[in-house]
Amino acid sequence: MRRTRGDLLIDIIVYVLLIIFCFMCVYPFWFILVSSFNEGHDMMLGGVYWWPRKFTTDNYATFFAQTSWINAIKISVSRTVIGAIATSLFTCLVGYALSRRKLMFGNTYRFLFVFSMYVSGGLIPFYVVLRLMGLLNTFWVYIFPTMLSLYFVLVGINFFQSIPESLYEAAELDGASEGCIFLRIVLPLSSAFVATLALFSAVGQWNSWLDSVYYVTDKQLRPMAYWMISIINRTQTNNSSQDLSGTVNLTTMATQSTAVIVTIAPILCVYPFLQKYFIKGMMIGSVKE
Amino acid sequence: MKAVTLSNGWVRYRRQWQLQLFVFLGLVWLLLFSWAPLFGIVIAFKDYSIRTGVAGIFTSQFNNFKHFVTFFNYYNFATLVRNTLILSVTKLLATFPAAIIFALLLNEVRNKAAKSVMQTVSYLPHFISWVLVYTISLYILGEQNGIINELLQKMGLISTPIPFLSSDKMFYGLAIFLSLWKTTGWSAIIFLASITNVDPTLYEAAAVDGAGRMRRMWHVTLPGILPAVVTVLVINIGAMLGGGMGGSNFELSYMFGNVTNCNTSSIIQTYSFTMGLSKGRFAFATAVDLCQSVISILMVISSNWAAKKISGSGLF
Repeated sequence: MRRTRGDLLIDIIVYVLLIIFCFMCVYPFWFILVSSFNEGHDMMLGGVYWWPRKFTTDNYATFFAQTSWINAIKISVSRTVIGAIATSLFTCLVGYALSRRKLMFGNTYRFLFVFSMYVSGGLIPFYVVLRLMGLLNTFWVYIFPTMLSLYFVLVGINFFQSIPESLYEAAELDGASEGCIFLRIVLPLSSAFVATLALFSAVGQWNSWLDSVYYVTDKQLRPMAYWMISIINRTQTNNSSQDLSGTVNLTTMATQSTAVIVTIAPILCVYPFLQKYFIKGMMIGSVKE
Repeated sequence: MKAVTLSNGWVRYRRQWQLQLFVFLGLVWLLLFSWAPLFGIVIAFKDYSIRTGVAGIFTSQFNNFKHFVTFFNYYNFATLVRNTLILSVTKLLATFPAAIIFALLLNEVRNKAAKSVMQTVSYLPHFISWVLVYTISLYILGEQNGIINELLQKMGLISTPIPFLSSDKMFYGLAIFLSLWKTTGWSAIIFLASITNVDPTLYEAAAVDGAGRMRRMWHVTLPGILPAVVTVLVINIGAMLGGGMGGSNFELSYMFGNVTNCNTSSIIQTYSFTMGLSKGRFAFATAVDLCQSVISILMVISSNWAAKKISGSGLF
């Protein structure tokens, strides 16, 4: 197609707008990264924008020297890994069973699952139920309540129904059990869906802190995200006294930026690789509408 | 006859017992984590104390809607409702068109590599929790050590720092800005996907008819993605009070709310959180939650009605 002056103008506008937006998306992270590698007191003087002025890795050394963080990282990693695996398997399993046309009472079941998506008893009754089950103050309170994602069950029903029925019939003729069909046919055919689901629940688990506030009092069970909040709250109270002493918490920024980077790093490492899957996975839900 | 069909049914059922078992496991989960808490709502109408445990839910006395009366008479009640509604509605009004515009702009980028880099970058903020967004904001927008204020002051544009994070007047704008930052790229995925489904011959035909790029965008791309737009809009209006596309309103208000901006930042959810968890008034908090759910349901119903009026199709 011939390019006109109008086209060029549109190109310029498009690129300028997009670059501004992308800059806004990336720069805050870059700034925090720079600050985590810059000497704490120096950073507070201001004027550091693009590159560390006094480069140091002390912030990280100090950070990882604190044993409380190591424990929090352990909790965060285990709840992310266990939670993502449990949620993906269980949600797929239920979604798959509900997607089968031969399932008796299928419509009733499906209605029950959709209905449950729109109702909620609220926090306090939920708390009481967890207390009854003895889940409070255990690691499993992070896993069980989120093990089934109703939204993904519904998306999954749509998705699994696109698997040709003849595949199931062939497998059944060969004497495959339902569990076998699920593990050896359904899961391998649904990698985009499973990857999306796993990524969503992993990110959800990794970022989650509210459940720790609600259901856990044991310090040993606190995840990273929780300690991030407590660091912030500490800074806020310190800020009020800052004017009086002037020297209070000069290195808080260093600690905070280091913690932010440590928290973000695993997500950043994983998501470019899963990207092609979850774009596909996101579309599954929308295209079927 | 009936006995025969019944026993046939039973045979069929037994033959697919494994499938039924999978569903049964799901139902057990639903019963425990979704339905059981529903019965607990009754404590909103009672004088309930957490110390009495489960039995207390049934034995405690009804109190003539005392908690609701207390909540309605709370001097900040109107403020809470106003903030809840304004934050939800403005966030939707801002983030929804932004996602469409972003998808349209990105679609105009011819360079494949640039396009994929921009897309990857744009949904980076989606994966970051509000806790981190807050921490980062302190150093970007903060009064004392935020670089925006630092730069503006250096350039002599302002003499005193702008209190982005600690002013009643700033909070709505801040919330909208952060929601845009966090969700625009991510929400655009669906629109980008449906743009690729638009028939390319339509563009050629439009070009032959002399339509420029703007007109092709307006007359071909937009109508092409309209079904996706309507679907996503209706879903989001339904989820609006919970935060909709902008992610959770609760976490935003909780993290960014403080003494200096509580007139515009406190919402029903943060109030119920403070009352229930910090103050231990569980029954009262449940009543507050229930009010929020009622408003939510009303919004879902009315938005669905509006969607049906406007586009001819709703969710239910």
